[in-house]
Amino acid sequence: MISKLFSREPDTRVYFATDIHGSETCWRKFLNSGKHYEANVMVLGGDMTGKALVPIVEEGKGHWHATLLENRRDFESEDEVKEFEESVMRRGYYPFRTDPDQMSELESSEELRDKLFHKEMLGTVERWMQMADEKLDGTGIDCFVSPGNDDQFEVDEIISEAKRVRLAEGEVVEFGDFQMVSTGWSNRTPWDTYREEDEDDLAERLKKMTSQITSPPEKTIYNFHCPPYGSGLDDAPEIDENMRPKHGGRSLIPVGSKAVREALEEGQPTLSLHGHIHEAKGNTRIGNTLCINPGSSYEQGQLLGAVVNLDGGKKVKRFVLTTG
Amino acid sequence: MANNAVAGSDDLFQRKATGLLRGWSVWDGFIYAAFSINLITLGLFTFSYAPFIPDGSLMLAIILAGLYLVFQTVTYASLIAVMPRAGGDYVWTSRVLGGGLGFVLAVTGWWFILWHWVPIYADLLNKEVFVPLAALLGLDGTVAFFSGASGLFTASMIVAVVASLYVSLGMRAYARIQKFCFYGGLIGLAVMIAILLFSSRSDFVSAYNSGAQDLFGAGGNAYQATIAAGEKAGGLSTSSAVYPTLLLIPFLAFFNLYSNWGATLYGEVRGASDFRKNIYAMAGALVFTSIFAVILLLLFAKTFGWDFYYAANANFWNGEGPVSVWPYPGMLVAMLLGNPVLQIILVAVLSLWFFGWTGSVFLSSTRVVFATAFDRVLPEWVSRTTNNGVPYAALLLMLIPSIPVSYAYAFGDNFATYVLDAVLVIAITFLGSTVSAALMPWLKPDIYNASPIARYRILGLPMITVVSIAFGVFLVFCIGQWLFNDLYGANNGQSLIYMMILYAIAFAMYAGFRLLRRAQGMDLAMVYDEIPEE
Repeated sequence: MISKLFSREPDTRVYFATDIHGSETCWRKFLNSGKHYEANVMVLGGDMTGKALVPIVEEGKGHWHATLLENRRDFESEDEVKEFEESVMRRGYYPFRTDPDQMSELESSEELRDKLFHKEMLGTVERWMQMADEKLDGTGIDCFVSPGNDDQFEVDEIISEAKRVRLAEGEVVEFGDFQMVSTGWSNRTPWDTYREEDEDDLAERLKKMTSQITSPPEKTIYNFHCPPYGSGLDDAPEIDENMRPKHGGRSLIPVGSKAVREALEEGQPTLSLHGHIHEAKGNTRIGNTLCINPGSSYEQGQLLGAVVNLDGGKKVKRFVLTTG
Repeated sequence: MANNAVAGSDDLFQRKATGLLRGWSVWDGFIYAAFSINLITLGLFTFSYAPFIPDGSLMLAIILAGLYLVFQTVTYASLIAVMPRAGGDYVWTSRVLGGGLGFVLAVTGWWFILWHWVPIYADLLNKEVFVPLAALLGLDGTVAFFSGASGLFTASMIVAVVASLYVSLGMRAYARIQKFCFYGGLIGLAVMIAILLFSSRSDFVSAYNSGAQDLFGAGGNAYQATIAAGEKAGGLSTSSAVYPTLLLIPFLAFFNLYSNWGATLYGEVRGASDFRKNIYAMAGALVFTSIFAVILLLLFAKTFGWDFYYAANANFWNGEGPVSVWPYPGMLVAMLLGNPVLQIILVAVLSLWFFGWTGSVFLSSTRVVFATAFDRVLPEWVSRTTNNGVPYAALLLMLIPSIPVSYAYAFGDNFATYVLDAVLVIAITFLGSTVSAALMPWLKPDIYNASPIARYRILGLPMITVVSIAFGVFLVFCIGQWLFNDLYGANNGQSLIYMMILYAIAFAMYAGFRLLRRAQGMDLAMVYDEIPEE
């Protein structure tokens, strides 16, 4: 009885984080997380790319201005501009330098803005993969990344070219005796994002993926960006038709996927990893499956994550949610 | 698919992505903050303590405290701006000052102590709902029952069941119930004000004498008898001296210290506007409630008579006077209506202020229990939910202990005195968050500097530090008075020992689970450690 309270030496220690949304700070922390938590395996759930572009407008004669978090800033030197650019990147936004003429064009052209977003997002992911190759080389730590519903499809191509990071989307990957299947696809959202589909289609997608698994449930991990419906890991503020939180944000409703829930109930993997709903940090059990959503505080530069010891037992018992 | 970038406001371009919400309604935030400081349920009861300091000015104390506590709203709005979606006092304190301190303060202030608030809520339910309604219905036996120990225990169980029901229904349903109760309660308040405004003193004297006779069997001129008994007991208002007025403020904290209850932020942080909106919602509720409190008191003075109002409350606490039940102003106003049906309707409508607020005794606690379980300080099972999402384990951890606590409160010889520090423990928890806020710029510089409030400075210091020191002064003043001034009855030795035992249990739990997790290979230091960036 007492011995059950104490852990066997884990076969594998997994570190999982998700939804870093372009935050330079969170990515750098993620690359150090394996060493910091003595994990053998690092997994980054979906939504790597940022949500906003921050223009730094040149007014001439070495003067610039920009606005971040509704605070207007004026800069008189290159150093000040660089410092501001770093603070923007830490937050997960993309800074870019421009002038009043180009700003006018961007404001009036959706196409130009799309192109700029594309360039900044993909350029950042490419740079991040280079950082990962340098940082993880020689560590012996496995690193898996699977994009989420907010990440465009070109991200996959960039990740798949990295040497020390493995693209996990749609694949069954192995580490030790464990198999993990991953997807960033979610059920429909009000934002009409890149990787979302109806529940039936998502169920079909998940079935195809999970059917490739050959390991027993206690050696299986599902890394599905979208949390299971009604698990508490999917509680989000109820919003009205104008995308405003109802009741001051106090009314929470489940927005997760029923297809994901069904897949978990049927497959009963030992562990399932989720993200997507930043506010819904937590863990729960669906049958024998330990389900985790570590949440996200990427804007604050905090890397929320989970350290999980896998010992091959029927249930995962040793884990902790972290605030890196 | 429409993943098109959209031109954002303030020189920002956003693309469509999950979680990008437009701002929430300040009015909605205001409603929930106003419910937390609840003028009708908490305020009117708290004001009844004023006769203990007859040479202080109750109205001035309400205004001063209401204005000063704006510092509290700015402190909490700042914490939310720096660490949004964090989950409140536990997370702020544990991340800034350390997991042990965060756990001990939050578990005592948001969990253990709220078991003791169940009978306190029940006492208010009896005084403001059951006893007045029973009296108006002519149910003398019921009045006696709910004025006694058995009635208090019964009401405690009703509070526990109603709060559990709200938790089980979930936040969506509770938000709707609260909004319904707010608007219904506002109608009741408006009717109450109108009756007070359009009734004369002589109308009230006549209505009270008649009501005291019919409802409570107090014959003769009960109005004059009430004032005479109050005067004899020294409970009439005598002056408006400054220091005695300040001494009323620790009493008032029982009602106006909670505008931050449930303070949080959902969706992405847009910037300074979110910070301001939280201040508008919380400070707006605080100022609105304080203004309405003064308006009500002015109307009480006009219609009831100030001497009568003070005397009736003094008599209740001294066990004197012709009427033994607490002079609930809602019932006093109802007496002016004459018609029993209308009287009952008014008291029932005013009771919405109680029923919309009841969930607060368990809801925030379950959130703290969850947060500590997610940090693995408490075992995993406490965060379990049913398939419908009901947090049954956390709920049981609130509900079950509240039953013996309520029983002991109702029937025990001394237990009620153990609960005297119920507000003090909450204030100490708030003090932990306040110290965290003050030190945030130095202890968590990266997070602080990335926040929209980093540019705000006062006298060269970060604004969050200045406002939190100002709020801290308020808390230290109140805590000091509660601990060292006999006036409040909270420095009872047994009560303090009991509270220290609660702190000791919390500390033992933290130390025990930390050792256990370490033995299991899961050092809880990992929860709070920051990963190096380079």
